[in-house]
Amino acid sequence: MAVYWGAACGGCCVSVLDVHEKLFDVVANADLVFWPIALDIKYADVEAMEDKFIDITLFNGAVRNSENEHMAKVLRQKSKLLVAYGSCAHMGGIPGLANFSTKEEILKQVYLKNITTENEDATLPNVSYEVEEGTLTLPKFYNDVRTLDQTVVVDYYMPGCPPQTERLLEVFMAIVSGNELPPKGSVIGAYDKGQCDECTRKKTDNKHIKEFKRPFEIEDDGETCFLEQGVICLGPATRGGCGHRCIEGNAPCRGCYGPPPDVSDPGAKMMSAVATMIDANEPEEIERITNQIVDPAGTFYRFSLPGSILRRKVKESLQ
Amino acid sequence: MEEVRIGVYVCWCGNNIAKMVDVEDVSREMETLPNVVISRDYKYMCSDPGQDLIISDVKKHKLNRVVVAACSPRIHELTFRKALENAGLNPYMFQMANIREHVSWVHRSRENATKKAKSLVAAAINRIQWHEALNKRSVEIDPATLIVGGGISGISAALEIADSGKQVYLVEKTSQLGGYAAQIDLISPFMYNAAQLINPKIEHVYIHPNIKVFLNTQIEEISGYIGNFETKITNSENQSIELKFGNIILAIGLSTFNPSKIQNYKYGIIPDVVTSLELEQVLKSGKILTNDGNVPQNIAIIHCVGSRNSNYHEYCSRLCCKNALKYSNLVRSAIPDANIFEIYADMRAMGNGCEELYSATSLKNVMFLMFDQKNGLPEVREASSKDNCKMLIEFDEKLSGERIEVPADLVILMVAKEAHKEAKKLAQTVGISMCGNQFFIERHPKLDPVATTTDGIYVVGSCQAPKDIPDSVAQARAAAARILGTINKGSVEVEVTTAKVNEDTCCGCQTCISVCPYTAISFDEEKQVSVVNEVLCKGCGTCGSACPTGAIRSQHFTDRQILSQIKGLLDKSFELQEG
Repeated sequence: MAVYWGAACGGCCVSVLDVHEKLFDVVANADLVFWPIALDIKYADVEAMEDKFIDITLFNGAVRNSENEHMAKVLRQKSKLLVAYGSCAHMGGIPGLANFSTKEEILKQVYLKNITTENEDATLPNVSYEVEEGTLTLPKFYNDVRTLDQTVVVDYYMPGCPPQTERLLEVFMAIVSGNELPPKGSVIGAYDKGQCDECTRKKTDNKHIKEFKRPFEIEDDGETCFLEQGVICLGPATRGGCGHRCIEGNAPCRGCYGPPPDVSDPGAKMMSAVATMIDANEPEEIERITNQIVDPAGTFYRFSLPGSILRRKVKESLQ
Repeated sequence: MEEVRIGVYVCWCGNNIAKMVDVEDVSREMETLPNVVISRDYKYMCSDPGQDLIISDVKKHKLNRVVVAACSPRIHELTFRKALENAGLNPYMFQMANIREHVSWVHRSRENATKKAKSLVAAAINRIQWHEALNKRSVEIDPATLIVGGGISGISAALEIADSGKQVYLVEKTSQLGGYAAQIDLISPFMYNAAQLINPKIEHVYIHPNIKVFLNTQIEEISGYIGNFETKITNSENQSIELKFGNIILAIGLSTFNPSKIQNYKYGIIPDVVTSLELEQVLKSGKILTNDGNVPQNIAIIHCVGSRNSNYHEYCSRLCCKNALKYSNLVRSAIPDANIFEIYADMRAMGNGCEELYSATSLKNVMFLMFDQKNGLPEVREASSKDNCKMLIEFDEKLSGERIEVPADLVILMVAKEAHKEAKKLAQTVGISMCGNQFFIERHPKLDPVATTTDGIYVVGSCQAPKDIPDSVAQARAAAARILGTINKGSVEVEVTTAKVNEDTCCGCQTCISVCPYTAISFDEEKQVSVVNEVLCKGCGTCGSACPTGAIRSQHFTDRQILSQIKGLLDKSFELQEG
């Protein structure tokens, strides 16, 4: 088994560690042949492996630079099963929100404009740089953040930010026990039904929103559906399987488990749903209410922008 | 899934399409697209030979889907669906691309028009891959009819239906039948006595074996759908009765404008300022007298009280002008030497005999004075003792351009006709739409004037807009004919492109329930999923776009079908040239 990170925060790798003592069950069934967070195995070692040498690779993180892309392709070649593990590999995840900016805007913001950055020579990262000792190289930073399946063919998707460790164990045990696996391309470790199915809050058809509120702006009784309190909760457009832990913790669902089977663009779906909840008829009133949604693009596409129909903001030159 | 085999037919529409679109080129290029088995162009696809071409190709080439690129689907979609049925295919395995109204008629560059036509046909071909067979459904019709409102409209419809042997339930909120017309003395312009006209009809209703009248009765709620409605009604003794029926006629009539909203006219302050409806009671008593029992010498009739004025009602109330002329005539007969003033904003006495009444009235020494609503309304005030009249009415007379004062002992306000006060509640109870003035909206303002967008519910008479008696009766009988037609048929076909809930993915958020304009969605508490009543559903698609989980499919308009169509449209190979 291999675990690799692309453009990721490390949380997915930690979720694998979170199996705790069950790790013994894992290593009893599988050798870990590549896992940068835990094992010192070099890229060259992986490149030297025979094709299909690895039984399962859990690839977490999005593809945002040439290094991510290279390793995605190498691991595809070396793995029997390639699993897009976690929101970033699945739909682009949080790094995918960078698709609302261009490469130039991002580099400018990080290396030149950032208030804590001191960069008098206005140096920007170069792919290669000559020094006395030889040539230094950096991966190429792409304009687009891509999902794993926009880069290589993916066998299974395991959503979540990060995926719940219990789901990982179920999936892992199912694979090593030789059970029949679902068809290639399936989402595994998540349910077909949305969060509301598991959510224990009281839901009615009374979803009429006159004011959008952020969680800290309501006196939550812990029982009423968030949407019915004017708080945007992506639960209905998000698969269950996480144990609705955010909602259990009195925070609305942010959508990391991705869309149910028949939704191609969860952000658009949820926007469309929320639009029907706005309780007003006059255009000015509708606009006033809509304007209360803080960061709509980030709210509705928090985990899914690169994998959505939208994919990214149009580049300036194309506008 | 069976192999997709598509036939594509590009129509010339004579020269209508062919002159601007290279139909042969379109047809040739479409044949290269995936799953297209055969592609042809033909002079008139809608003609019998054109349809036969499809039918024979379906059989010969084992086609299971057909795309026709021709005119608007509003014109010929049904024609081609029928042809598919004749060829033994499900009629929904069809898609039309409109390359006439959307292409040849609106473009000037033959090259770009041809490319656009290709895009539209490619989109249709992409979409049709995902089409699914849908089956027609019909519901049985309960032969009884519920009529709400016992005015002249409700009475006319009731008699029409009952006379043909079908049961009618006539529900009236007040203690008597007759409605607004029963409050009128004589009917303009031919001065029929209203009571003589209506009372025999009312008697007939009461003794009719097929009509059950419920007086002092309110509609609590109505549930069901065309052919199978149910209601619970409650009468003044608080008895509840449950009724079942297949169709509903709403004939609740109108209300009149309260003129005390216009301070200029001093209604409710000066007792000799009366409404037209109050004057009818005076006329019925046989003597026109002022509040203190004297015969008025100066009578002023003010038009458009609450009508044609954006502060009150923008619309024309339609009945007032001819009624005002009636009053001039009646006053002239009763008080031959009276001074009569018609203070009007615009004379709109239209309809059979009305212009003649206007001409006749103008010969009877009646003073016609015009005001312009935009320049303020006439102001009524009490006269002083030396004025020799009770009131003075001051306004800018439009035709002379002078500001004048008119004496009056009796002021008649031609109050606007407005929607019935109960209209909104009833519209919500039965699930039909209202216009901004709270009149009920018909299905189509020209071609379907008595039906509503909810099957089995009809609107007749003044609850749809102010109407005179002949128009109300005509509408009532039209609705009756429509209903008798469906009863006679025994069943009606209902919409098949309805919404469907996938119970495996519905998570029970209930977003869909309140967005449905036809109250077709309910929540199954046991299964914790939404349920669409397919008979009530009109396939509008609102729930499908509101459903955040993708569990609701708008059949024949699924996300997959629409997205595939868009993908076809965006196919780079048919991109237009600049300019």
